[in-house]
Amino acid sequence: MSGAIAGFGIVFLAILGTPLFIVMSLAALVAFTFSGVEVSAVAQEFYRISSAPTLMTIPLFTFAGYLMAESKSPQRLLKLAETGLGWLPGGVSIVALVVCAFFTAFTGASGVTIIALGGLIYPILIKDGYSEKYTLGMVTASGSLGLLFPPSLPIILYGLVAKVDIDKLFKAGLLPGLIIMIVLSGWAIYNSPKAIAGAPKKVFILKDFLQALREAWLEALLPVAVLVGIYGGFVTVTEAAAFTALYVFIIEVFIYKDLSFSKDVPNVIIESMSLVGGILLILCCALGFTNFLVDEEIPLKIFALMKEFLHDKYSFLLFLNIFLLIVGCLMDIFSAIVVVVPLIIPIANDFGVDPIHLAMIFLANLEIGYLTPPVGINLFIASFRFKRPITELYKSAVPFLILLIIALAIITYVPDLSLFWFK
Amino acid sequence: MIAAVKKMDFLLEKLTTYLLVVSILAMLSLSSLSIVVRWFQHNITWIDPFVRHLVFFSAFLGGVIATGRGTHIGIDIIGKFVESKGWHHLRNIISKIIAIASIAVLGWMIKAGIEFTRVEMEFSKIEFWGISSGYLVMMVPVGLSLVALRFIFVFILSFEEKAEVA
Repeated sequence: MSGAIAGFGIVFLAILGTPLFIVMSLAALVAFTFSGVEVSAVAQEFYRISSAPTLMTIPLFTFAGYLMAESKSPQRLLKLAETGLGWLPGGVSIVALVVCAFFTAFTGASGVTIIALGGLIYPILIKDGYSEKYTLGMVTASGSLGLLFPPSLPIILYGLVAKVDIDKLFKAGLLPGLIIMIVLSGWAIYNSPKAIAGAPKKVFILKDFLQALREAWLEALLPVAVLVGIYGGFVTVTEAAAFTALYVFIIEVFIYKDLSFSKDVPNVIIESMSLVGGILLILCCALGFTNFLVDEEIPLKIFALMKEFLHDKYSFLLFLNIFLLIVGCLMDIFSAIVVVVPLIIPIANDFGVDPIHLAMIFLANLEIGYLTPPVGINLFIASFRFKRPITELYKSAVPFLILLIIALAIITYVPDLSLFWFK
Repeated sequence: MIAAVKKMDFLLEKLTTYLLVVSILAMLSLSSLSIVVRWFQHNITWIDPFVRHLVFFSAFLGGVIATGRGTHIGIDIIGKFVESKGWHHLRNIISKIIAIASIAVLGWMIKAGIEFTRVEMEFSKIEFWGISSGYLVMMVPVGLSLVALRFIFVFILSFEEKAEVA
């Protein structure tokens, strides 16, 4: 009885909006007390995160992403991509998708992409003749696009929580990430104003492209260097994080001089570390609670219950998709990873789902959750950023939501896409 | 009273900001240095554990900032609903309940942290620079105390905001 009351109290505090690290701490403290274990064990679990070798990748990649978002890097990269791809049908929109994916991969889908890039992309698309509905939907969807590409923060966090090799997850995300990009690019081409209104044709101008390349090559080089560095086996993820942060810091502060060392850099550090601190605190607190659940064999009990309704791997995957879509629109991706992943992994394992494939399904699902009405966070950020009623954002997001669910189905039911590199 | 709390809150924010800036720059330079020296077949063994502990302590500092700005990650279903309805009075009450609950839970966690530190002090091992793990574990109660302190300031200052609105 007292356990039920405590459980109800904890859930009530959670939905009231109490910081999740407080909720997780309380859950761990209560669970350990009820099971007769010293509460100092919660602090011990809390401290355990400090021994994770890839821990430093989280602040370093996030710092690099925030530095770029605060600089004039979005303008330079947009110009480069526009001069390079703008002549294609739907080219301008595809450019926007690519640049947004790049920024989201570096800033971890924390809303920074919509805030930093939305204001730049929105007028460009409208000027190019795209409908307002499409533009709003595209900018909103782009806020979480790129989550499956390295060095995305959710991938790193997933690797830490699930104890899966982060290098492998980075590799595994490439094809599923491309599928999402291809599906949305197809929609961009379909909606392109040239196809609709027969607007004047844009042409590729080499001189403009080279000029844009001269301006942005230092930044354009970065994703290539990270990919080649990690996949080529030249650097580890931690080394890539350190070099990326140092490289971005040097180019933005001392070469482009977009940011002042004394004024802007401290602000960027505070902005990025406020997010990182929040995430790491949840991670520290959740470790104790989720380990308790695993020790108590809760996932096994859930699995036994699920076995009564779900008889094979595919019915489990369908259930997982629906469950994670609901989780994704109620919780942000970081909380969802920390809370749900430790429970799901043993169950998925029993149903024969590969841990790397599971990671891709999980992250793709939550990527869509950001866009799912009524409470997908990207909808609120875009509503705030573009000063539009939330219902207008719902309508704009629906076509993108349907397309992303199609991409999710491909990622879920074609495991070879995620496991291609490990065959 | 409010003015004094405001001043202390300001000082805590400043201190946290300076510590975070120093920590991030140290993380950046030390982790890069560690890689470069490895290319020359050298190894500075203390850098890795030092940087990991720096990240660990920065999590608390980031938590202090997030507490001041009210940007902690939470589920917040009721809060969002109340806000959408424009029930500001109820929103204020919810904020106060959250602050009190957070302070109480952090108090419990600090107690757990002190107990863990006491045990670790007895069975500690040297981590780096001759520092024993007992002292490093102390980061848990110290860091949580900083976050708790910020929650206390936020709670007290919420009464001032109410007075200003009135």
